[in-house]
Amino acid sequence: MPDLQFQATINGRKISRSAKPHQRLLDFIRDDLNLTGNKEGCGAGECGTCSVFVDGTLMKSCLLPVAKAQGTTIETVEALAKTGELSVLQKAFHKTGASQCGYCIPGMVMAATAALRTNPFADREEIKERLGGNICRCTGYQKIFDAVELARDVQNGTLPASALMEDEAESGDFIGKNVRRIDTPSKVSGRLKYAADMTMPGMLHVQVLRSPYAHARIVSIDTSAAEAIEGVAGIITSADVPGEDGFGVFVNDQPVMAQDKVRYVGEAVAAVAAEDLLIAKRALSSINVIYAPLPSVFDPEEALCPGAPVLHDYAPDNVTKHIPIRVGDTEKGFAESDLVIEETYSTQPIEHAYLEPEAGLTYVDHDGVVTIVSPDQNITHHRHMLARIIAKPISKVRFIMSPVGGGFGGKEDMIYQGMLALLAMKTQRPVRLVFTREDSIISTAKRHPSRTVLRMGLMRDGRIRALRMKMICDGGAYGLSTEGVMRKAAILAAGPYVIPNVRVDTFGIYTNNTPSGAFRSFGALQTAFATESHLDICAERLGLDPFQIRRINAMRDGALTHTKAKLGSVSLMRALDALEKASGWETGAPTSRGEIRGDLDRPDIRPPCALGARFAAAEKREAAE
Amino acid sequence: MLTCDDYITPASLDEAFDAMAAHRSHYRIVAGATDTLPWAREGRAGDVHIPVLIDVTKIHELLHISVGDKRVRLGAATPIQRFLDDTNLARSLPAMPRCAVWFADDQIRAQATIGGNIVNASPAADATPCLIAHEAEVELAKKSGGKITRRRMKLDQFVTGPNRTELEEGELLVGVECDALPGCGGSFEKVGHRRSLVISLVCLATLVKLDGKGRYIEDVRLSIAGIGPKPLRLNEIENFLRRGPVSAERFNQAADMPVSLVASRTRQEYRREVVRGFVLRGLINAARAAGAKPDTLTPELEAAYA
Repeated sequence: MPDLQFQATINGRKISRSAKPHQRLLDFIRDDLNLTGNKEGCGAGECGTCSVFVDGTLMKSCLLPVAKAQGTTIETVEALAKTGELSVLQKAFHKTGASQCGYCIPGMVMAATAALRTNPFADREEIKERLGGNICRCTGYQKIFDAVELARDVQNGTLPASALMEDEAESGDFIGKNVRRIDTPSKVSGRLKYAADMTMPGMLHVQVLRSPYAHARIVSIDTSAAEAIEGVAGIITSADVPGEDGFGVFVNDQPVMAQDKVRYVGEAVAAVAAEDLLIAKRALSSINVIYAPLPSVFDPEEALCPGAPVLHDYAPDNVTKHIPIRVGDTEKGFAESDLVIEETYSTQPIEHAYLEPEAGLTYVDHDGVVTIVSPDQNITHHRHMLARIIAKPISKVRFIMSPVGGGFGGKEDMIYQGMLALLAMKTQRPVRLVFTREDSIISTAKRHPSRTVLRMGLMRDGRIRALRMKMICDGGAYGLSTEGVMRKAAILAAGPYVIPNVRVDTFGIYTNNTPSGAFRSFGALQTAFATESHLDICAERLGLDPFQIRRINAMRDGALTHTKAKLGSVSLMRALDALEKASGWETGAPTSRGEIRGDLDRPDIRPPCALGARFAAAEKREAAE
Repeated sequence: MLTCDDYITPASLDEAFDAMAAHRSHYRIVAGATDTLPWAREGRAGDVHIPVLIDVTKIHELLHISVGDKRVRLGAATPIQRFLDDTNLARSLPAMPRCAVWFADDQIRAQATIGGNIVNASPAADATPCLIAHEAEVELAKKSGGKITRRRMKLDQFVTGPNRTELEEGELLVGVECDALPGCGGSFEKVGHRRSLVISLVCLATLVKLDGKGRYIEDVRLSIAGIGPKPLRLNEIENFLRRGPVSAERFNQAADMPVSLVASRTRQEYRREVVRGFVLRGLINAARAAGAKPDTLTPELEAAYA
């Protein structure tokens, strides 16, 4: 079948090129025209990193077959600052600090441009609504909305252009001033290259075969049919690892690809490098893996029971890590207490969902240095591990950290860089792997799901006498950061409170679930959720204000923590004061309020989301006319 | 990932039917394509190869819209965003702008079509209940023996269940015709997990026409989706309210009525609770948009459900 002859005007230039009939406009713009400013975040129309103008209408280019754009005029993010001078909106994003990891920003700038083109006077609610198709994970959106409002006001002349300039220091002091980030111009213009934006001459495309089983022995892997496909340049399995296989953060329990058995759905089993993505995909479906399924375990408490399936030989009890903390005598503390309350708390696994799916470009350079370019949050550690895995001296391994399009801890694990190194070494060509959103969700670490039993003993006046906590976390199939997460969870379990008797046990357990790993707060969230929720419950039972119970127990300057760290200064009391003031807290025990809380519906409290701001704006315009 | 050998964009119905005949059983029709591309991904259909995609959105007839006094005709390829941008259309279809603003996001609405939403026949489709409240009929065309023949069918009969319709092999949905209801107040209530890009758990279209004094209901139409395999008209509620007064008490009684209809596969209790509040809120919002006198709806009622 013939290719399409695709004709369009892109960023002011006429083009006429052949395109594959199945290509999406996004593929054509990024791969064929090398306009990589607009990104792919989800490939399913959800995130908006790919938003471009087609005949003046903003559209998601990942949902648009290229043929639909035949004969149209297309503007990508590169069109906005074509001469190098940023647009007013881009400058406003720079001013307000609206760009952090920057991966959503090209799409976000396009959506903001569309919003102000449609209604140059859009208010904040309407801006929110019109930006509804674009997702950001770093900023919490407020600075983005600030930027759009600033740009609107500058464009409409209600603010001078100087409002876009950086705040000046007051006698050398920048605290409280908007200092512009130096990396923002490259992000708002789409000029910054993330790993998936990079290419090299002769580059091969990598695809990974993943396990459909949660727990199975690998009987055999036959790659011969796939090897025979024209365009396949190399296939690797665990057998291709020349050195000592195994990576991790605290324990090197995870092989580059599954060795004798798979331990979770989505674990890498083989990888293919081919001339293009379609060939690589075809090769994957030609690899024949025979599995012998094994009993699986998906609940950490079941994994602790005698006779439960064992994931790793080195840990026959399935315990990845147990962290105990003992201070005083908790049983004595409970006996002395006026009130003892026990509750169970649980938290769920959470995907980081950074806007940039994992990607890596790897090559062996002229000196034989295996060079890995990827958004990797821990390159030095990975460099040491990889050198051991590929049996090379450290001087022959190089990691280059590409811009990280959001990490939140989820890019601390070396889950794909090993495969890229092996394929680059095997083919002696540059290789690139770009994860789809689905790849990213199925194969990368999640926040540890937890189940916590918390028992607290208190005196009638609110003083805590004893705390006992047992938290069991699902660490999933591999160790990754579990040990560190359990450690920090335990250290912070009793909170910033003076408690004479403390007994904390945190357990990270192996199961056949997706591995758990680092995620913002690194364990503190799970224990703090239990402890802080528990304090609210205790306050209610004791008839105390929730702020009061925290003040009664707060650590002060010079306090000794439960793990014997001496704190020079403790800002908790100041933080509580500030929080109470800012939230407009209605003082009193949780039981003291009537039907309606007095601290809600204030002008500075955000109401729940609603849609239809544009109708209100239109009605106002009509009324004015 | 979706792959194809050819992507055909016919300019006329004849060309479309010729392409369908030439590639019989090797093609798939796409309109906006906003469902097709996400469908062909891992976790859903996975990698899919369809030899020929036939894109109907450049067929002139499918883009044509005519707004009459009694009926509105929408070409099947009408993008959802038109209901927001075209004030003439919005006047005749008063619930559609409220529906459209909840539909995906501005960008997807510019591409997604009314015909695609109907043929896709999701139990959670947003536009379908609105159209059913407007007594919509679909127009279906096919070509046999060199001639294009057409038939019509009520929309609520055309959609038979989740992803199932009465569309026959070789047939195309070319247009939708529905009641023009200028002067009605319209509302669209929807609950989902977030604000944009969200699939309805429950959605409800309400249209209310009042007498000149804003006190009596001359006509009322409610259609709900997400509570069962296909969208439904709430005929019993309509009959109860039609030619009756606008009052908080009657709206409350009406809201208690549809509970027995909830027949979805999941979360029935939750949906039942939502439906009660929805009917009340839909009626209040539609009545207000229709110009109901403020004293007919007590402040208590408004505070609770507006």
